[in-house]
Amino acid sequence: MLKLLVVDDAPHVLKALRDTLEAHGYEVHEAVNGEEAVTRYREVRPDVVLMDILMPKMDGISATRNIIDCDPDAKIIAVTAVGKRGLEKECIEAGASGFVMKPFKTKDLIDTINSLGNDERN
Amino acid sequence: MKGIEAVRAYQEELIESIPSSIIILDRGLKILYANRNYYVKSGKKEREVIGERLERVFSSMLIEKTRLDEKIRRVFDTGIPFSGDQLRYPGGLFFFYKIHPLKEVDMSLRRVMLLMEDITELTRLEEEVRDSYGKLENAYAELKEEDEVKSDFISTASHELRTPLTVINSYLEMFEDGMLGELDEKQRDKLAIMRSQTDHMIRLVEDMLDTLRLESRKFKIQKYPLKLENIAKSAVEEISKLADLKEHTMSLKTNGELHEIKGDAQRIKQVFNNLLTNAVKYTSNKGRIEVEIKEEKKHILVSISDTGMGIPEEEHEKIFEKFYTVGGKSLMRESERMGLGLTIAKGIVEAHGGRIWVKSDGEGKGSTFYFTLPKGD
Repeated sequence: MLKLLVVDDAPHVLKALRDTLEAHGYEVHEAVNGEEAVTRYREVRPDVVLMDILMPKMDGISATRNIIDCDPDAKIIAVTAVGKRGLEKECIEAGASGFVMKPFKTKDLIDTINSLGNDERN
Repeated sequence: MKGIEAVRAYQEELIESIPSSIIILDRGLKILYANRNYYVKSGKKEREVIGERLERVFSSMLIEKTRLDEKIRRVFDTGIPFSGDQLRYPGGLFFFYKIHPLKEVDMSLRRVMLLMEDITELTRLEEEVRDSYGKLENAYAELKEEDEVKSDFISTASHELRTPLTVINSYLEMFEDGMLGELDEKQRDKLAIMRSQTDHMIRLVEDMLDTLRLESRKFKIQKYPLKLENIAKSAVEEISKLADLKEHTMSLKTNGELHEIKGDAQRIKQVFNNLLTNAVKYTSNKGRIEVEIKEEKKHILVSISDTGMGIPEEEHEKIFEKFYTVGGKSLMRESERMGLGLTIAKGIVEAHGGRIWVKSDGEGKGSTFYFTLPKGD
């Protein structure tokens, strides 16, 4: 079972992601901002992180950088509602391995998670 | 002798008649001569001027302000002309003046010429232009600010809408996938409506952002080599599901060749999708929709024709405007989309350096949308 850390400041998004992903057989851990994400990452050591970008305290890009700093092999997928041009590039440069726009098709998200999670196991 | 006299007479006439004031002074700053224009402009009589010193003819305030006396003396001392300055006369008159040394045959310098040109009208015009320019600049800044506020608003609103849409969409998918229990037919039926409306809302948010992006001056198309026929084929395949529901027949006609052009494949596919979706939507059941790709001299011409309701000629340009829907309100019931599809298609085609237009013989006679894309190098 893949272990996921889902980071989002919107409680309903967190819940929807937890419900959906658990129904698809994943172990889901949560964080509500970038700062918490970094701490939780150290504790949980998830296979894949789903990272929101616009968040209070520490945004997803800084959190991604922080996590990559302590674990260069971390697999992070930016999951964002912000459609700003160049944001995807910024996320990838910060160390994210994937980029998914909200709202997403569950299948697309799961495909991205599996491609990264399974990759790590090999 | 006669010739020289004639030339001299011309010179005098010339000096008298030019539309500038000319005054000649000696080293003592005494006025030796003034031309007709000067008397007209100053309203002074010859006897008030000739033989008088500069400070008796010009007001002391004016001399003090311009340091005219010093400037004349300097020209006498150096022999170098004073190239000019502006002079404001009481009563809102503006003059431009120059001081020029008049050298004698033996190269001695006993006289200078003060040349004054009335630039009042010019100055007034200049001020007017400057004033209008300032007003225009302010208006532009205001418009730009309003535009930015509007863009920020649409951008923020779209992003804010995506978050609840994510939640709704996720739970809809769970229902659809049976993860929240088996649904009966009635529930499935309502769920399908919720799905189509949610998809519509997601599309709208995307369209709003796309319109905003295309309007932005910063918008640039990323161009890569692509095969136009492949894009058309995949768009036709996608839309055929929608077309099947209305029992339309769809076809793609090419000359068998694959045309390579440079462009943004995703965006060009969006153009096909938007035009095809419209064709399906605005054609009543069992219609015919044809896509044709032709090579012309400088560009590739794509046409998408339908046997649908047609577009009256007076609306052929308006339909590309934002939120315009053919026939106005009456169609909004049938149509699911707000009229952004064509605006976006136009934006994308034009960003590629192409053109988009429509031909239709009128209501009920179908329509053909055309767009061009420049050929690859």
